[in-house]
Amino acid sequence: MNYCKKCVYSSVSVNLEMSDGVCSACKTSEVFESLPKDFWDMRRKKFEEIINEIKLNRKSEYDCIIPVSGGKDSYYQAHKVVTDYGLKPLLVTYHGNNYLPEGNFNRDKMREVFDADHLVFGPSVDVLKKLNRIAFRLMGDMNWHAHCGIFTYPIQIANKFKIPLIIWGEIAWDISGMFDPDDFVEFSARVRHEHGLRGFEWNSMLNDERDKLVEKDLQWAKYPNDREILENNTKGIYIGNFFKWDPNEHAKLMNQLYGWLPSQTPFQRTYRLMSNLDDRYENGAHDLLKFIKFGYGRASDHASKDIRAGLMSREEGIEMVRKYDHVVSDDLQYWLNYVDISEREFWETADQFRDPRVWWIEKGQWTKFDIWGGSSSYGYHNLDEVSLKRYIR
Amino acid sequence: MRKNRIIPIVLFKDGHVVQSKKFREYKNLGNPLLTINRLSEWGADEICFLDISRDNNWQGGRSDLNERTPATFLEVLAEVSKVAYMPLTCGGGIRTMEDVELRIKNGADKISLNSAIFCNPALIQDAIKEYGSQSVVASVDVKFVGDKYKVYIHGGQTCIDQDWKDYLRRVEDLEVGEILLNSINNDGGKEGYDLSMLSIATSLVSIPVIACGGVGEWEHFRSALTETEIDAVAAANIFQHQDQSVYQAHKFLFVHGINVRPPRLLETNYLKVTTNELL
Repeated sequence: MNYCKKCVYSSVSVNLEMSDGVCSACKTSEVFESLPKDFWDMRRKKFEEIINEIKLNRKSEYDCIIPVSGGKDSYYQAHKVVTDYGLKPLLVTYHGNNYLPEGNFNRDKMREVFDADHLVFGPSVDVLKKLNRIAFRLMGDMNWHAHCGIFTYPIQIANKFKIPLIIWGEIAWDISGMFDPDDFVEFSARVRHEHGLRGFEWNSMLNDERDKLVEKDLQWAKYPNDREILENNTKGIYIGNFFKWDPNEHAKLMNQLYGWLPSQTPFQRTYRLMSNLDDRYENGAHDLLKFIKFGYGRASDHASKDIRAGLMSREEGIEMVRKYDHVVSDDLQYWLNYVDISEREFWETADQFRDPRVWWIEKGQWTKFDIWGGSSSYGYHNLDEVSLKRYIR
Repeated sequence: MRKNRIIPIVLFKDGHVVQSKKFREYKNLGNPLLTINRLSEWGADEICFLDISRDNNWQGGRSDLNERTPATFLEVLAEVSKVAYMPLTCGGGIRTMEDVELRIKNGADKISLNSAIFCNPALIQDAIKEYGSQSVVASVDVKFVGDKYKVYIHGGQTCIDQDWKDYLRRVEDLEVGEILLNSINNDGGKEGYDLSMLSIATSLVSIPVIACGGVGEWEHFRSALTETEIDAVAAANIFQHQDQSVYQAHKFLFVHGINVRPPRLLETNYLKVTTNELL
């Protein structure tokens, strides 16, 4: 395992390619930063062409759909579409019952500050609790329902209301560098299925021994097929493809213009206050599971982004990793109570997802290399004799 | 008149599908089975599956994914061939007759050979003797250097000391079924095919030439099919950037009166197939 020379990602980070010691995310980001003003002018014109076309053939009741959580990015999308370009979108939210108070405030304020109708959808809490448990056991992530809801429900609504255009926010320019700015990618069912949902669909959730769900519980989780997509001409574009994406700037601007609030209390697993307020576990227990699996967490993600944006040196980034990546945050207890799982079961299950490229067991403890040099141990393992063998080096 | 084919190329490197730019920059796109299943459902005429791994740097899958990538290229090929409902060409790393046989045995309908044309022409002849010309595609990578075209082998790394026109004639003399002609300069550039390269090549040989390298919009397919004598159009990256891409490409060309099959979707439900039956 080696680390990128520029940011704090390791070669094992999800979907990353490493060459000449630099990761694909840093390379993509360099391309992105070096784009001249002309490029963005042309992109803006392209966006305006799309907007004008909508204004010319206003057939549906809404001009487009904006999937929103209520976060800074949602506000930025609505700001562009409603305030700057005067469209009438339908805002669509998947509510996974994990909102933080600031997230609730921001979400509900959207239809006060933007002239837009807002559809908030949430599955039954009983179904959600079951899905939390099933997905945790199946893939070591309680938040599968959220990835699925966010990337399915707005598309269902687009087809139901015959609204062809869906305007998404950030394209994952720098999360792994899967695409380049000039690839001009659109929303893709394959990326949703493979990278958003990890290859699990609604029907993967029906076979759990302990938690029983039926097809009816998961209607919101069914992605339309190709024929239905083509019939409605449904298409998802990313606003990040048309306007330069700068989350730090967006957060400031949205706060000034609309009173959008960042988290009022610090997170335990990262220093950023402006991300993931729609889901208490995203910066907490969900992210802890990423550390358990791949040896890095949100602090690594945020520091890598901020290093690329020139807001932080690599040394400062490494300090963030050292301070935050391994922390077991208090929301874990909150989640264990919510879904009625014991802490012991949590660790026994979580340990089954440790990536052997990252972790080995030394003196009974989980051990991995550290970006600041050498290796450290991160707590005792909870494996049986057989599973243990994969991790003895 | 024979239809012009649209052929998505899927590049496979170290365990996953990648995008390639100029044979240098690679970006990880994910699972080959899902990718090929999608291209298949969108009605690709053929698929070309190329292994471009160079060193032994296989990245095993994550333990939290539903669909795992098998542990060797041949196993991947075997799985992929089950979801490719059209002819499947397989290339990359084929050096011996055994390599050829293993690929055919694991589901390839055709094999594509590149470096072997130069290094081991006897292999081409043996493969043709065994499986027929229609099963052997000669993949030729060409780069415009200074003021002339040059042929490169070993994944674009070695320039060979032979005039490219002579080389193409020699390829035809080997009696391969067709030539997949790729421009290294244009690879991943989105500026369109190297039309002059294609025109020269098609005037030199009488076997079908498949154009490759540089497609950034469907119009580039159209211009190559109207302005040159190529038989089929191939591209890799562009088919990964939007859903129903192959369908949309067929639709574009069909509407513009090009001699392609009308667009169609295959009646398989991809999510059902991938989650229940396939794996």
